[in-house]
Amino acid sequence: MAVDMKMPILIVDDYKTMLRIVRNLLSKLGFSDIDEATDGTDALAKLKSRRYALIISDWNMQPMTGYELLQKVRADASTKSLPFVMVTAESKVENVIAARKAGVNNYIIKPFSAEVLKAKLKTVLGDF
Amino acid sequence: MAGKGKLDLVERLTNECIDVCQAVLRGRKYLAPLLDPSFRAHKLQRALNEQKAAVGEMEMAVDRIMTAVEKMSEIDFADSGDAARRVAECCGEIVEACCFQDITGQRMSQVNEALSAIEDTLTFLSDGTAEAAPPEDQTLLNGPALPGSGMEQDAVDEILADDKGKQEALG
Repeated sequence: MAVDMKMPILIVDDYKTMLRIVRNLLSKLGFSDIDEATDGTDALAKLKSRRYALIISDWNMQPMTGYELLQKVRADASTKSLPFVMVTAESKVENVIAARKAGVNNYIIKPFSAEVLKAKLKTVLGDF
Repeated sequence: MAGKGKLDLVERLTNECIDVCQAVLRGRKYLAPLLDPSFRAHKLQRALNEQKAAVGEMEMAVDRIMTAVEKMSEIDFADSGDAARRVAECCGEIVEACCFQDITGQRMSQVNEALSAIEDTLTFLSDGTAEAAPPEDQTLLNGPALPGSGMEQDAVDEILADDKGKQEALG
């Protein structure tokens, strides 16, 4: 099944520049419906008000980290199967394993290229 | 009277010496958090390494941005189709290079943490009003890896693939 390029995507990062970069790269890939949240708490509030098809989140945020957001998303029946991609500078083995155990669908190390983002989204969403 | 005067002077000097000694001992106690080998070996050394890495990454980002801008300035716009493609490529390069702001921001927060610990100690030394706060436990939060010490994307992919493989086998 073809990927719906109009799917609502929530990107979460506390750095405004990173939000702009990810939004820009997603637009370049053809996605058009992109919302932003500035930390895990903000993201949870947005998840309650709208159904998203994909979350792309940073890890290192305050007051709620991307890892905590992932745990909460997986613990909620309405979002437990929502595709979740972590985009982070946290590149220790224990981080990757913890995120995997918590149910992350893919994990991208910053800094990253548009090609890497596209390849990882393909593994999560299918070919587009 | 002269003998009494000398005795008073000796007593006053002795008391001042005691005060100075006590101040030195107090100072050493207050400096203990900074003299702790773990602070110097981990926090301070890490701060220095993070600062060095941040400067290197900023240089690389600026170089990447400048290269993209130079490429754009050399584009021949006679062929508008090719020019548009090359401009889009250069813009993509610039956008990707801007990732440095997030990474260096996280690195500088490690430097700030070390400086704050030093500032707290100096404040305590100067007026005794502030207690040096113990570092927060940041479970699983490491921040960006220093060059050569973190995982590359391929290694992350291997872990995820291996884990997925195991899960499929179990499933």
